[in-house]
Amino acid sequence: MIIATYVKHVPDAEARLSAAGDRLDLGDAGFALDGMDEYGVEQAVRLKEAGSAAEIVALALGPARADAALRTALALGADRALLLETDADLDPLAQAGPLAAAVRAAGAELVFVGGKQADWDSAALGPALAEALGWPLCDWTTELRLEGREVIAVHDVDDGSEGWRAPLPVVVTTQQGLNEPRYPTLPNIMKAKRKPLDRQPLEGVEARVATLSATLPQRARRGVRLEGDPVTAATELARRLRDEAKVL
Amino acid sequence: MDFALPDDLVTLQRAVREFARREIAPIAAELDREPRYPWTTLRKMGEMGLLGILTPETHGGLGLGHLAYAVLLEEVAAADASHATIASVTNGMPQALLVAYGSDAQRLRWLPRLASGAWIGAFCLSEPHAGSDAAALRTRARRVEGGYRLDGTKAWVTSGGEAQLYLVLAKTDVDAGARGVSAFLLEKGTPGLEFGAPERKMGQHAAVATAVRLDDVFVPEEQRLGAEGEGFVMAMSALDGGRVGIAAQALGIAQAAFEAATRYAAEREAFGQPIREFQGIGFKIADMATRIDAARLLTHRAAWLMDRGFRATKEVSMAKLTASETANFVCDAALQVFGGYGYSADYAVERYLRDARVTTIYEGTSEIQRIVIARQVHRELGR
Repeated sequence: MIIATYVKHVPDAEARLSAAGDRLDLGDAGFALDGMDEYGVEQAVRLKEAGSAAEIVALALGPARADAALRTALALGADRALLLETDADLDPLAQAGPLAAAVRAAGAELVFVGGKQADWDSAALGPALAEALGWPLCDWTTELRLEGREVIAVHDVDDGSEGWRAPLPVVVTTQQGLNEPRYPTLPNIMKAKRKPLDRQPLEGVEARVATLSATLPQRARRGVRLEGDPVTAATELARRLRDEAKVL
Repeated sequence: MDFALPDDLVTLQRAVREFARREIAPIAAELDREPRYPWTTLRKMGEMGLLGILTPETHGGLGLGHLAYAVLLEEVAAADASHATIASVTNGMPQALLVAYGSDAQRLRWLPRLASGAWIGAFCLSEPHAGSDAAALRTRARRVEGGYRLDGTKAWVTSGGEAQLYLVLAKTDVDAGARGVSAFLLEKGTPGLEFGAPERKMGQHAAVATAVRLDDVFVPEEQRLGAEGEGFVMAMSALDGGRVGIAAQALGIAQAAFEAATRYAAEREAFGQPIREFQGIGFKIADMATRIDAARLLTHRAAWLMDRGFRATKEVSMAKLTASETANFVCDAALQVFGGYGYSADYAVERYLRDARVTTIYEGTSEIQRIVIARQVHRELGR
């Protein structure tokens, strides 16, 4: 059984971003493998270590620099990697088509995708990919095992969680709690350089959604200093908590 | 000329930074308060590859050069200086010497275990009466049937009692000065190999150091490293690498103190503004940044020279001198930026200062580094 695991190269949590006109300027940002996708890579590696998978293919779609995320996935235990290379900003629906084709070409029967992407916070890619493949989807997965050719999983729903089973092929979206991802060791990072990483230019795919504007959240202090003697200030505080904040 | 680190090395550096931040930094304060030898994190460092950085891949190491060694060790030291000290010793003094001088049998026997971190190596050179003057050793190795018998006391042995392999320098010929020193590899558990209580140190508490006593210890001939009388020359040949390691460690401590101070100076307000807006603090930060940068450039250049096979004794001493003095300057300045909080054990800066203090002492004091530099300068001028 072959597992495909999708990885996205996203600005790391400490990256400083700026908005320029209609788009974000990522020029000075540091990038890393999306933490949400790490759970999928880790789960794939564990399945392979347990003898349930023969090969792990890491997939990415994005600019040339995204190969770094694939190298990380290779260092974590993926066997080979494929980058669908494009500088275009493609929305999840537009990405799903070419990724589905790559999954089929790899012969994969189990696909892991992060529950949502850390950069634009979209949770659409997993469902879109399942739709494009015509496979069942198990989203927000917190437990997963294989019994023969059946996936047995637990995932979060609004009011708790539910158990779930389905025959392969399946798309699974991952999240915190599924496992504790390992970090790449130096010997494995060095070995990953020798693992195959293919690049295919992605052409003829157009975004279905156009970005019109981009702004960054502004952090502003909205503190208010209440003046006056303690009794006056406390009375005013109670009034504001009751009438304005409505927490009393 | 190119001052950028190679891309591959940057990737390794990031991985180690993340590893050290997640695994080592969170326990550093506790290890300082309640000292214990950090076996759990050392095992993880071994898996990471950090305990066999210079050892060839064929023997289970990473097979990287001194530049990589310096860059990676700095990241470990920024999280905790004790871990960097232990790593520096086991990478350097047993392994580098085994790689350079060991027989095939000796390399096969010990290198894979050391490079993987399953075993930790220790170096026994200093004695109660001989530190920098290594030729004045009193530990004796008498020839006997099939090997040697060792007697003497070693001081300040990092990982003493914990390490599984001890590289011991002892005199096989008392009348031959430095030429009478030979090197031996002793495994923990060898009868007569005993350890003192952990030294009570100012800093780096988890880098447990003890005295090592050799009481009529029998060492078979095949555990002598190199030829008889070569011990001192071998130890000196490994000094450059060791000093690059200590320079890198000092840089890591300095970097950690610098980052803490700049963060604090941006957050802490006095008289209605962040204290970094005051020139007195801004100048301190400027001096810290400048000296760290200078020390790092010297360290990387020294390592770069060594990796290209150049003799770099002067440059290594300059790096070690500058980086260790810089670490002390930066930690002291950082503590001043923190004001009263800097003096509190609840903040890391006072630990950084205590951890940094020894970097101007071990692996050759600042005074010894200056002697080495002056000697090299005179030699160059004399030519």
